[in-house]
Amino acid sequence: MSGRYDAIIIGAGHNGLVAAALLARKGRKVLVLEARDHVGGMLGDADFRVAPLPYALRPEIIRQLGLPPQLMGTSRPVETISFNPDGAPVTVLGGRASGVDADMAPAYATLHARLGRQAKALGVMMLQSPPGLGKASFSEMAGLARMALKMRLLGKTEMRDLLRIILSNAWDLLNDEIGDGPLAGCLAMDATLGGAMGPRSPGTVLTLLYRMASQSSHGHGLRVMPEGGPDALVKALRECVTDAGGVIRTGAPVAKILVDQDKAAGVRLQSGEEIAAATVLSNASPKITLMNLLGVEHLDGEFVRRSRNMATIGMVSRLDFDIAQMPSLGSGGEIEHGQRLVFAPTMQAIETAFNAAKYGNLPERPVFEATYDATAKRFCVTAQFTPHDLKGGWTDDAKEKLASSVMAALEEALPGLTSAVTTRRVMSPVDIETGYGASGGHWHHGELRVDQLLMLRPFDGAAQYRMPVKGLYLCGAGAHPGGDISGAPGFNAARAALRNGGH
Amino acid sequence: MAAKAKPVPQVALGLEPGPFHDRLVEHNRQQSWVNWMGYASPSVLDTVEFEYFAIRNQSTLFDISPMCKYTITGPDAEAVVNRLVTRDIRKLKPGRVAYCIWCDEDGNVVDDGTVFRLSGTEFRLCCQEPQLSWLEDIAWGFDVAITDVTRDIAGLALQGPTSFALLKDLGLAGIETLKPFGIADFRIDGADVTISRTGFTGDLGYELWMNPADALKVWDALMDAGKLRGLRVIGYEALEMARIEAGFLLPKVDFLSSQTVLRADRANTPYELGLEWLVALDKPHFNGRRALLDLSKQTPRRKLVAIEIERDKPAHNALVYHKKTREVGQVTSALWSPTCKRNIAYAWLEAPFGQSVTDNLWVEIYLQKEIRWQRRMARCQLVQKPFFVHPRRTATPPADY
Repeated sequence: MSGRYDAIIIGAGHNGLVAAALLARKGRKVLVLEARDHVGGMLGDADFRVAPLPYALRPEIIRQLGLPPQLMGTSRPVETISFNPDGAPVTVLGGRASGVDADMAPAYATLHARLGRQAKALGVMMLQSPPGLGKASFSEMAGLARMALKMRLLGKTEMRDLLRIILSNAWDLLNDEIGDGPLAGCLAMDATLGGAMGPRSPGTVLTLLYRMASQSSHGHGLRVMPEGGPDALVKALRECVTDAGGVIRTGAPVAKILVDQDKAAGVRLQSGEEIAAATVLSNASPKITLMNLLGVEHLDGEFVRRSRNMATIGMVSRLDFDIAQMPSLGSGGEIEHGQRLVFAPTMQAIETAFNAAKYGNLPERPVFEATYDATAKRFCVTAQFTPHDLKGGWTDDAKEKLASSVMAALEEALPGLTSAVTTRRVMSPVDIETGYGASGGHWHHGELRVDQLLMLRPFDGAAQYRMPVKGLYLCGAGAHPGGDISGAPGFNAARAALRNGGH
Repeated sequence: MAAKAKPVPQVALGLEPGPFHDRLVEHNRQQSWVNWMGYASPSVLDTVEFEYFAIRNQSTLFDISPMCKYTITGPDAEAVVNRLVTRDIRKLKPGRVAYCIWCDEDGNVVDDGTVFRLSGTEFRLCCQEPQLSWLEDIAWGFDVAITDVTRDIAGLALQGPTSFALLKDLGLAGIETLKPFGIADFRIDGADVTISRTGFTGDLGYELWMNPADALKVWDALMDAGKLRGLRVIGYEALEMARIEAGFLLPKVDFLSSQTVLRADRANTPYELGLEWLVALDKPHFNGRRALLDLSKQTPRRKLVAIEIERDKPAHNALVYHKKTREVGQVTSALWSPTCKRNIAYAWLEAPFGQSVTDNLWVEIYLQKEIRWQRRMARCQLVQKPFFVHPRRTATPPADY
């Protein structure tokens, strides 16, 4: 054994860094081990980022870790452009939509405000450890009670409305309130992005509320680029760890979590080096942590079964297009740096794209969101639905087919883009899985659906961050409250480890 | 165009004849059959008294082919079986059998059965309830093959004091050295037969395992050799009497598998069943270990106890009272034991009864005497299992009765 630490964090994704920072600031001697040669996980690779739009870091975490407030984005975010094949695009910023019918704009504003209030009530649970089923502690139940109270405080009508829609689908909700079209497509994209569900799938209102629960000084549900971009966020988190005395080692892939007398004892690196620590937090997805790093021999059969059955089929591919000169929008106007373009002209288009993926095929017309990075002269596309379990596998041909279909769609919005592209790169869910410790290449390390949320995230019996082997915790997106760059799972897991005294 | 009916293969309805069925039919004067895992199994062939006393005084044949049987083979077989059961199976040597239980993640018993260690990397599990999906869950991630061999192996229990002499008469060389819970291979009338010195009667006895194709041949050879040894074919009812005397528990009667209960609190832990001697908490992780570790430090909610009741009327399904007034439990299996001459039963008692409070316990027995019912409060006391113990069960070599 080399070295001795209070806690080892496997994976320097943003959640791992948040967890490490909190533990280090509480005086624990921490070591972060990262397999790649840089920190930041899905945010961290400046050449080809899995998550180019790092919105939603919880303000409470920024405050608690003493991170620079600019990370919340000081300048007002740029409007999102939702592509409209039949005319001028719809532009959206928070509750304000333009380019839509005169009566739809106020209807949308009302809906956005209402969803925001309801999301805020649910958001109470984001920084709480979810209660255990059957044997919840007082503080866990108190968190749930606070959420129930917040929901009740919405008023009778609104609470009833929340309970009516919460398990239903985005399709019905949005059709009722604003009708199908580029605006509904933009919202339905938020509701389905990263998941294996179309707007008609049950539970997509819940995922929409999840997105709506993100907070910033400019309002809720916004995608706020931190000042300085993702790199600034990663740098701030890394420095937060090291300033508090934490050690970060990159290029140090973990092979095994060591167990002694049913307690976590440290890790063994792929190099064979063993490092001791009584507390181990894993930022890898639950399946990889439990099946590969820990080993099923330490777990009960039912626990393994639930872990195996966790829904983790990734649906998102990332494509980067380096371009010589950004063309103008077909409808007139330019795309600004950091601006988000949503290519989901209708909810039907999203549903149709999902239909193909359900059966393991690539959609003819994928739906996607794209951001323009003017500094790097790069167009970053997040496309779905591109199933991890693609029929015939993720061959170069499959990637080429996907890139061509995305290019064809983009060409409609930005005529002349195809000839402006100098290089293109495609990252499939399989690449995400192998590169970032996310089983199924799933962004959120597991579907955000009602049977995998709160006390059921990642699955029944594993929801309080601590795993059956004492001293082992899940601190990644697979744990409550789930994916997106919120930092909440890492934060909550570190607090759980501190509460249990690291055993 | 008129639709044409497609011939559909017929699904066999009703009970299935087992490998010994042709012979069982000949002996089954009562034509009394019960459904055991889909097989027609005799409950009584002639009279239960004759069959019972044959277990204790002669020797008996009982068809145990309907038992669920699984093989677990491969490099990780020992690890998988050790992960399944609560005993430390690493201590079980090849050629030996162990009675085991296995638990779910809450520490509740899933089933009990016998584990046969056939070699370093080959095990066979015999149990009452189908376990294939459970075994596959336990074995996931390990390098083993699990096969349901229920229909590939015919089983016959040869039990009773003269069983050893009978086998010796058949010329089975070395049968005298087979110790309790030992396994050895023999040939009977040209058929390969694996014999284990195991059984469900608490008496001297063996279980014979063979290819179903050889079943009738082996049966005939045994019946032939048994003529002078008082060999008798028995049914389930006689065996039930012997198993209560022997102190064995019966799933679905004395306890329920945690996989089948609808009410979560109906499942039982090894501590409640009095089977804590089967739980090796000091071995590496096995299914339910963490829950069992916690349970081992707690007082069981209830306890399955052996009781002896005054007078002679068996206390079937009786309620148990403290000081004749407070209901504290109920009887699951009851018997007037003809061999022990004791009125015996198993009963579930809610804590603290049967644990710290053991006196002034009564069972409420209902007796029907020519249509008229009588209620009798009979005093009972806790006793140790088994009720029937005889040195001939374990003597090696066994005596030539």
